[in-house]
Formats: sequence, structure tokens, C-alpha cells
Amino acid sequence: MSATTTAGGRVREFVSAAADGWTRERFGVLGALGLILLAFGPSFQVYLFTDFLVVALFALGFNLLYGYTGLLSFGHGLFYAGGAYGVAIVLRDLGPVFADIVGSGISPLLTFVVGGVVGLALVVGVAVPVGWLSVRLEEIYFALITLAFGMLGYSLIIQDPAGLTNGTDGIIVLLGSVDIGGSSFRIGARRTYYALSVVVVLAATYGAWRVVNSPFGTVCKAIRESPDRASALGIDVRHHRWMTFILSAAIVGIAGVLRAGLAGVASPGLTHWSTSAIAVIATVIGGATYFSGPIVGAFVFLYIRWAISRFPTLEAYWELFFGALLIAVVLYFKQGTVGGLLLLRDRLLGDDGDGGETDAGGDGEAPDGDGDSGGAGATVPDDETRTDRGDDS
Amino acid sequence: MTTVLKTEDLRKQFGELTAVDGVSIEIDDSEITSIIGPNGAGKTTFYNLLTGVLQPTSGSIWLRDDGEGGLADITDAEPHEVAQAGLSRSYQITNVFEGLTVRENVRVARISHEKTRLDFRSRASGDAALEADIEELLELTGLTDIADTSCDTLSHGEKRTVEIALALAIEPDVFLMDEPTAGMNPTEVTEIVSLIRELDADLDATFVVTEHNMDVVTDISDRIVVLAEGAILADGTPEDVLNDERVTEAYLGSDSV
Repeated sequence: MSATTTAGGRVREFVSAAADGWTRERFGVLGALGLILLAFGPSFQVYLFTDFLVVALFALGFNLLYGYTGLLSFGHGLFYAGGAYGVAIVLRDLGPVFADIVGSGISPLLTFVVGGVVGLALVVGVAVPVGWLSVRLEEIYFALITLAFGMLGYSLIIQDPAGLTNGTDGIIVLLGSVDIGGSSFRIGARRTYYALSVVVVLAATYGAWRVVNSPFGTVCKAIRESPDRASALGIDVRHHRWMTFILSAAIVGIAGVLRAGLAGVASPGLTHWSTSAIAVIATVIGGATYFSGPIVGAFVFLYIRWAISRFPTLEAYWELFFGALLIAVVLYFKQGTVGGLLLLRDRLLGDDGDGGETDAGGDGEAPDGDGDSGGAGATVPDDETRTDRGDDS
Repeated sequence: MTTVLKTEDLRKQFGELTAVDGVSIEIDDSEITSIIGPNGAGKTTFYNLLTGVLQPTSGSIWLRDDGEGGLADITDAEPHEVAQAGLSRSYQITNVFEGLTVRENVRVARISHEKTRLDFRSRASGDAALEADIEELLELTGLTDIADTSCDTLSHGEKRTVEIALALAIEPDVFLMDEPTAGMNPTEVTEIVSLIRELDADLDATFVVTEHNMDVVTDISDRIVVLAEGAILADGTPEDVLNDERVTEAYLGSDSV
């Protein structure tokens, strides 16, 4: 008995010592180092991690509407596809035009950037009316109307309107290579594209983090907690939801642009409900109430899927594993992976009543859930914990 | 002595049932008005009409207009427009932002009042003037000590105080309190009553209260309006109204304790 307590004590001592050293600056440096190191890793791992980054951004944009504002969309694939098709169409139709104007050396990069901007504009253009109509409804009705819009997009793309979308085959995305001053590189090369994705995803994530911590984001959270109360305080709830919808769609659109380049194709499946469901699943697995929830969820989703694919006999049933995982999360870890990890941290630090001096994050969330840490993650964390996790990922 | 809130022949019908039946009332800014009545008298429906949650079948609602000193028609306004026009409310069943801290709750209301809700670039807690306002309000309502506590861990009485802080944060002309002492223990009742008195003395807001606790009603009211079956049964000073035979009858008749 005493042996186990001293062992337990040592573990706690070690963990809290480690946690003490876990400052934001060190975390940032370590993260950056990890990202750089990964660029020299095996090619497939680079690809898998890029895939994770894109899905993480997809889920993050989705969660701005779900976890932060309380609206569950089942049609965000529409905006994922919007970004992808926007960039794909520009690359296909305007590539030669740009090559004529600026010369073929730099034009592939310029076309990709312009395509990205066009994709984003297209997404916003679609999100404005779709959001306006959707936010008139709440809860299950909101989920259903967004689902319908997503599938409407799917049917439209398959119809190949004006020869724009190339029907069920989708549009092949050729990123080409850039020649500047004798040196040349392919944008679509795995490591190059990885670097590009890291920059874009980090920037978009920082932007989203600023949004959720802004006055705008604070009002979003209030609406999630009680729409009636918010409107009784003079907040135009419907308008605010609409604005959040557009912002959320725009972030998903950026992810869609990156997806087109990574997959090398913009295909109608991107706006199918099963793609929209990926954002939902990743967010639920990670924990919708945390900023980092969708990111962690995307990581778990993609890496478990990869691990399953190592066993060819199991691969045919990979969805079964996610079904089981989802049931486990929903039943026992309502706060998702992030909630579970925070609980584990509190346990390891022996954080039961002695205050939170060991919390090195410096984000002042010390007194969270001390009294109810036995709740197996099913308890609601305080809001500081929810939002301040942001920069930890 | 100015009228801050006025209704004219306000009527609300749910199918065959007339919940509010031609209520005309003028609320003066110099007094605390209580609206009382037996269960089902139409108090909550009346509040919901005033705050734009329900649309009246007929009649009109007027609220003091800041610019002219006259009255503005808010009959067709939506809840958020009513709130922006200067009518604030607290709820009978506590309705605060449970997952947020007390400070964040008040911050939301201040952001709404300052009309910075669409600002997505600055930090929510980065505005020093706004934070000072929040601090002041927390002090006024005695919430400073629990400012950083999440609302879902507060006691019932504390949540009711947060309700009041929220409603006041938008600097209303008129503050409708729906049963501020509902579900409170006697100590909490005493505290909230003295808080209401204090706030009424300190602030420009005009208080309108619905209440079941008759001790509280007689204690704080300058004027009592009795609703019964959707219509005004009696209206006057506490002494007059409580000695009115029709009032006693209405209470004993329909409550049938």
C-alpha cells in the first residue's frame, strides 16, 4: 500500500515538474520544431499530417457554429466543396491566361493563390443566402435544412451546370511547378504542399482563435447558452447566427481550397453528407466545447483510420471502429478526447483541492471542476477551460 | 413625473382564450410599480407582450424615447429591439448564461449595450473602459467576490442577482422584474429586497415588479396594479389596493387555497 502511494507520489511529482516546464513559449518552440522535423519524415507521413491539418481546419470552422454558437450543421461539406471547386475551376480555365500575363515561371503559384481567393469568395457568396435561410430554423430543423443544402449542392455539381463542374468525375487539379531565377519547385510536391498547408492552417487557426475570444465570439457563446436571454439583452440573435454561419463557412472554404490541392481533384463527394459528417465526428470525438477539440478530434480520426488501414483484413470495416469509438465517447466522455485528457492531467497532478499552482498554462482556470473530478468527463467544464485551450494545439 | 411605459387597450388572444384583455396602463418613472394577480391572471403574458416575445392581438405599447422625451411605439418591435429601446427584464425562471462566468455574463450585456458585438478582431476583455463598467456593476450588485465563478456552480439566490446585473447592464429606462424572489429562502429575500431598494435609489431605471410574496410587494411598492382574468382589477397605493374587497375575492376565488 505504502509502496504504491510513494510510486503514485513520484508519478505526480514527475508530472507536475514536467507540467511546470510546460510554458507557452516552450510549447510553441517545441511545436514549431516538430513541424519542421516532420517535413523531413517519410513521404507518406508528411502526406498524412497534411491531410490531418486540412481536416482539422474543416472541423474547426464547423465548430465555430456548433460548439460556440450551438447550431449543428450537417451541410458544411457544401463549403468544403465550394473552396475546392473554386480553386479547381480557376486552375483549369484561367491557368493559361495568367501564364500569358505574368509568364509561365510564376503563374502556377499566382493561379493557385487567385484560385484560393476565388474559392473563398464563392463560398462566402453561397454562405450568405444559405445562411440567411438556415438560421431561421433551430436545432434539428437547422441540421436538416443544412443537410438539404449540402445535398442540393451535390446534385447541382453532378448535373455539370454549363460544363463547369465536370459531373461525377470532378475536376483534376494540376498545381504545376514554379520557376524563379533558375530554381524550380512543384507546388504539389508533398513537402512543399505540407509547408504551404502548415502556414495557411496556422494562420486560419489563429484567426479563428482571435474570433472566439473577441466580443463577437463572446456573444456567440452567450447565444449558445441562452438565445432568449441574449435577445432580451438587445442582441439580434438571428443576425449574429447568420454572421457566424458566414465566418464558419469561410474557414471551411479555406480548408476546401487546401483539400483540392492535396487530393489533386475537386470531386462532388466533398459536399456529400458523408463528408459533412467527418467534421461532426471529428468534433464530437475531440470535444466540441474546447477550441482545440476539433483539431485533436481530426488527429484521432485520421491516425486511427491510418492505423486500421495497416491491417488489410480490418480495413473493410473501419467504419465499424468509428461507430464503436463514437458510442464510447458519447456515453462516457461527453467532453471528448480533450475533456478526457484534461481530466487525466488533473488526476496525475493530484489536483484535488490544493488549488492549481501547478497549472503552468497561466490561463487562470485553476479552480475548474475540482469537486466533481469523479464525473468521468461528463461534467461541464468552466468556460475558461473551453476557450483558453486554443493555443495549446 | 414622466410616463416611461404606456399600454393602450392591450389585448392578447390564444384562440378562444383571452389572456390579456384590454389593459391600459401608464407607468411613472417616480415609483416602483408592482403587478400582482392570482395564477393565470395574465402577468407573464403581459410581460411577454411588453418585451416583444409575443405580438399583441390588438392595442399598442409605448416606451420613453430618449431623444425627444416623448414616447415611441414599440408594439411591433422584436425582443432585441425592445431591449435596445430601453426595456429590460429579468426572468421568473432564472435565465443566465450558465456556462460563462459572472463577469462574462455581464460582459455580454455590456458588449450588446456598446454595440460592439460584430467586432471580431479585438480581445473581448481588452477594452479597459468596458472592463471598468463591468467592475462597477459587479460592485453595485455585490457580485465582485464571485465574478470569476462559472454560473452553473452558483446558488439559486446568486443566479437571481446575476439576472438583475444582466438586466441593468444595458442601462434600461424600465426594468421589468418577473418574480425576483421566486424560490428564495427568507435571508435571500431580505437581501434582494434591499438590493432592489438600493438600485431604485441609485439608478435612473424605473422598476416594475411582479411578485407572489405579498410582504415583498407591500414593502417595496409605491403602487400596485392587480390583474385578474387578463384585465386590471384594481390600481392604486398598497393600502388602497390591499383593502379592496374585489382583490381579496379574486385571490380567494380563483386560487381556492
